[in-house]
Amino acid sequence: MAAWDLTVTVEDLGPDAPPLQISVTSDLHIGGVILKLVEQTNLKRDWSDHALWWEQKQQWLLRTGWTLDKCGVHADARLIFTPQHKPLRLGLPNGATLKMRACFSSPVFRTVMGICRVLNLRHPEELSLLRPVEEKKKKKDKDSSEELYDLTDVPLTAGSVQALYNGMPAHFADSPKTEAVYKMLSVSLPSPAPEAIAKLYRPASIVDKTHIHTRWLDSSRSLMQQGIQENDKLGLRFKYYTFHDMDPKYDAVRLTQLYEQARWAILLEDIDCTEEEMMLFGALQYHIGKQSLSQDMVSSCQGMDDLESALKSLEVKMVGDGNSTDMLDNMTAPELNDHLKIFRPKRLTLKGYKQYWCKFQETSISYYKSKEDRYGEPIQQLNLKGCEVAPDVNVAGQKFCIKLLIPAPEGMNEIYLRCENEKQYSQWMAACKLASKGLTLLDSSYQSEVQNIQTFLSMQRSSSAAPTSQTDESINTHSLVSPRYQKKYKPKQLTPRILEAYQNIAQLSLTSAILKFLQIWQALPDFGISYFMVRFKGSRKDEVLGIANNRLIRIDLGVGDVVKTWRYSNMRQWNVNWDIRQVAIEFDGNINIAFGCVNADCKVVHEYIGGYIFMSTRARQQSDTLNEELSEHKTATHREKKNIPEATNGGN
Amino acid sequence: MDDIDAMFSDMMQEMDLLTQSFEAETESAPLPKPPSIPAPQEMNFSIGFTDLNASLHDLEDNDLDALMADLVADISATEEKFATERDTFKGSAPVAQIPSQPQSNFNLIASTDTSRPATSSNSIAAPPPPPTSKPSKEELEEQMKADKIKLALEKLKEAKVKKLVVKVEITDGSSKTLMVDERQTVRDVMDNLFEKTHCDCNVDWSVCETNPDLQTERAFEDHENLVEPLSTWTRDTENKVLFQEKKDKYEVFRNPQNFYMWKKDKKSLKDMKDKDKEQLLESSCLVLHFWVQENFCGASVIVPDLEGILYLKEDGKKSWRQRYFLLRASGLYYSPKGKTKASRDLVCLVQFDNVNVYYCKEYRIKYKAPTDHCFILKHPQIQKESQYIKYLCCDDVWSMTLWVTGIRIAKYGKQLYDNYKAAVRKAAGSATWANRTIQTSSNASTPSPTPKAKAANGHASHPAVETKGPGNQTSFPPPPPPSMEILPPQPPDPMLPPPLPAPSSTTKVNKFPPPPQFPQSSIPPPPTDDLPPPPPPPEDAEQPPDFLPPPPTSMTSYGGAALPPPPPEPLASLPPPPPAPQNFASAGGAPPPPPPPPPPPAPAPAAYQPTNSVRKVAPSPPQRTTPQLAAPSGGDFMSELMTAMQKKRSQP
Repeated sequence: MAAWDLTVTVEDLGPDAPPLQISVTSDLHIGGVILKLVEQTNLKRDWSDHALWWEQKQQWLLRTGWTLDKCGVHADARLIFTPQHKPLRLGLPNGATLKMRACFSSPVFRTVMGICRVLNLRHPEELSLLRPVEEKKKKKDKDSSEELYDLTDVPLTAGSVQALYNGMPAHFADSPKTEAVYKMLSVSLPSPAPEAIAKLYRPASIVDKTHIHTRWLDSSRSLMQQGIQENDKLGLRFKYYTFHDMDPKYDAVRLTQLYEQARWAILLEDIDCTEEEMMLFGALQYHIGKQSLSQDMVSSCQGMDDLESALKSLEVKMVGDGNSTDMLDNMTAPELNDHLKIFRPKRLTLKGYKQYWCKFQETSISYYKSKEDRYGEPIQQLNLKGCEVAPDVNVAGQKFCIKLLIPAPEGMNEIYLRCENEKQYSQWMAACKLASKGLTLLDSSYQSEVQNIQTFLSMQRSSSAAPTSQTDESINTHSLVSPRYQKKYKPKQLTPRILEAYQNIAQLSLTSAILKFLQIWQALPDFGISYFMVRFKGSRKDEVLGIANNRLIRIDLGVGDVVKTWRYSNMRQWNVNWDIRQVAIEFDGNINIAFGCVNADCKVVHEYIGGYIFMSTRARQQSDTLNEELSEHKTATHREKKNIPEATNGGN
Repeated sequence: MDDIDAMFSDMMQEMDLLTQSFEAETESAPLPKPPSIPAPQEMNFSIGFTDLNASLHDLEDNDLDALMADLVADISATEEKFATERDTFKGSAPVAQIPSQPQSNFNLIASTDTSRPATSSNSIAAPPPPPTSKPSKEELEEQMKADKIKLALEKLKEAKVKKLVVKVEITDGSSKTLMVDERQTVRDVMDNLFEKTHCDCNVDWSVCETNPDLQTERAFEDHENLVEPLSTWTRDTENKVLFQEKKDKYEVFRNPQNFYMWKKDKKSLKDMKDKDKEQLLESSCLVLHFWVQENFCGASVIVPDLEGILYLKEDGKKSWRQRYFLLRASGLYYSPKGKTKASRDLVCLVQFDNVNVYYCKEYRIKYKAPTDHCFILKHPQIQKESQYIKYLCCDDVWSMTLWVTGIRIAKYGKQLYDNYKAAVRKAAGSATWANRTIQTSSNASTPSPTPKAKAANGHASHPAVETKGPGNQTSFPPPPPPSMEILPPQPPDPMLPPPLPAPSSTTKVNKFPPPPQFPQSSIPPPPTDDLPPPPPPPEDAEQPPDFLPPPPTSMTSYGGAALPPPPPEPLASLPPPPPAPQNFASAGGAPPPPPPPPPPPAPAPAAYQPTNSVRKVAPSPPQRTTPQLAAPSGGDFMSELMTAMQKKRSQP
């Protein structure tokens, strides 16, 4: 067999080095080519990660057993000998950029799995990579000295089970640098400055939202094949809004990153919510930010629940071991006694606040005319159990009022308590708050409640100061809400509202606060809908197709109304005609729809639907190891036609 | 050390005083007051009567008997619990640590159940594992002291428990009076009522409250506490507690598509009719499972996306105004005139944290409402017309059901589904047991069929009357402790371990949680039982392992693994007969005491004592088997009560 020259560029020789010419025959297999190549370079190093990339055909020659003939490589082919794993700049859900090595030769689906393994993210099938938004200003290039976390030195391990060391996967415990990376991954980042939020790209309309989803990479092809170069930037995001088997114990990174993605979706108005919901989101962000800062990293993410249960059992033990003084303490609850001004708004009265001697005992406030009368009958006793407590505070004006709405058979009794100073206010406010839940001053949360209120007051004090990102104590409330509400309210107006919402969640632990945030996010009506601009067969105008985890939604572009909903449970099959790039879906009852995608590749839509149907089958297979074959089969094959009977059954 | 001792003896004295005053009270009372007034500070009144005395006068004799039975059982249970506890402390002395107790107790239960007395005696003989090193004397004393203190605390806690005498009206016009403990949930109360009324235990049964002032009605949710809301009623209230079937209670789980696809329903009503009925049923079954899974199994519950025009009664005015309302998980919103339906423009009418939703009657007359299909949202403590109540009016019954159900889902979330599952399990359990008892009673040759038949007839003649235990007590002299065996009726909390099953008798079945059908089932053969077993719910297939064979809950709480594996054939899956047939009479309701029942093996009581570490919240069950062990004070007290009863009987 005649020998011929094959031209191969070896990247490791430097960009200016001429390509190597090696003499090969057509029946030489790829492994042999690589061997010859390595011999010719005379470089002693580990070549095991290197492979041949065929530039013209945009494909890898990974099967070392195949001959050149079988691969179709002839003398005109220009091959590049290059590592399969290259560094990539990864934009994480929390906005940080992480430099790490990723596989450029395997399908994106597997690449994501590899990335997630390093980052300690379970269920990688829920995530994918997308191209970043093009940066508009070219001159910003200079400014791109953003803080970069680097994980490129960390080897990609094959094992899926990670040994824990110091509460983090062992490969993070190598150096302080990698530990910092893990902290960034597993602890939510401080709130950004309001200006930063306002500067970021926000989708203004549903059409803008459809653009986001045009950027997803094809999960069945490799990064190289999709034109991604070494050191390019890609975004890593949760793509499918169905989060399987979330366990705070193992999912520190996953939970944090999901929270960050949700937080940004809300801050950037990616998903709409009402004012009340926004206040609650703001309060939760504040709480999570505070907790993340105050808690040791390890206990905050991994051991949180363990710690709590340990504390609980300790408490029980204390009760058991407690000597009798403890016991007596338990039986007489502490009290609060002080002069307070009380005001009861009534119709046709102009009476203002009047001073009384007030006693807070158990869950009731009794008030007396003066301190001397305190042993007699109180003027009135108010049982606060089940009441509503609202702050009416203005630190600048030194106004510290507690508004109580006490339920009574006739309706609500409205009563205002006016405190003299912050200290008094925080004590009484905390007591009222606990009493409304039926707890007494004895409750262990009392002290922390007092502290929370004080912190919040100080926050209001500093809110008029220069906008800064969250530090240990102070925070600008504007950084907790989306630009719409930044415009609508001044920080002065916003703080009391967030404070009000905060009262209800102040006692949550970090993990439960994050879970609560995610829960409210998932309960939003528009949650988890990915929008695509499509044109239905037979229609002359563009419409929007929303893909959610259980249904497809047809949305009128002009009005934004839902026109029709189809559920996967009724889906019989879907096909893609790759020639005319049209997706056709058949539902029960001979309902057929077909559409082409206007701005996205119809592959993305195809993958999305398949992905969700695959996700719905996951619940059953409890095995931790993902059935990768099945997933790829569902999401990433190029077959022209697909029947999904078993998938639809799975949905049911 | 000394002062601790002193304090402890003080405590004990205090408690003795408490008990004495309690006894004195009972003695001096003209009527046998329910002894649920042990603690003077306890608020106590009855529901459905103007005051306690009137309530007692008002009671039918049999009601009083039943009530007395409840009380007696309750008290004796408590007393005995402490007695035995004290006993165990003495017996197994210093090393008997609390956590180790349930373990050993459970061994006992398991072994008696398998009717291997040898084993049981073995396990009794086996003391709790000895500690590796002998504790020093001080440690022992310390331990003893700690135990005593714990006991004292427990006793105090028990004394503080609030109890209410509640008159429950039943749809057939009759009523039942029962005592409700503040720790009981509505589910517990309903189980109690099932037992008393012998109705089928289908999932629709609800405990409802009505308010004639506001003309409202609301079914309590199963997980709610009953005492708390009733305690906030005014003293002269005409509110009532009803026990009735409410079809819409769990309709959302049976036909979720009606609630979640209500929009579609309206439009495609015709299509639905055209469909083959069978197919519809089948698909709706699938849909059912699918929907329930999808909407209730995630971390957050998806609230039906309800929206539409409702009438809102304007604050303080008589007029009703149309508004476009939307339901979200975070509250009830409306969109103001001239604004879009976008989330950001919505105005929150009310959030659900502090309000309940009530159905209203005849508001067209009362408040000039546009229709009679109204519901209100109010704080549970508000009992009269008030500006704090939100009045809403719907066009038709169906939309009212939709809204009220939607609000319940938003308010209670997954809890509602858990309630439903529990209710289904209960209903299925009773159905299965009904089946099973029919089977067994028709083919098993029971030891004494005649007295049982008699008993059954007795029940049939006045079905509404509670003829158990105490009803027959009048013929007894003030009972000496041993005869207590047959006196205490079913425990007030049927979730507690039932009495020892009688050997090889069919009635033993009935002593397990779903007992109401036993009068019918103990009629020897008739296969045409008036209790057609309700069709097993779809989840049935998964449920049985949970409750068949139904072990007492306290047993399962020890860990199901230790249970004897149920033998394969259905009959044998009944718990095997324990040695002592002593509670034959109380189960069958036969007036004469049963032939010879010898006292049960002495150690049995220990086995049945739930230790406080396991079940702190519920009163312990009546101890039929432990009269000898009853504390002396308990015995005295019991006879006091009995004398009082007799006095009352002989007075007229």
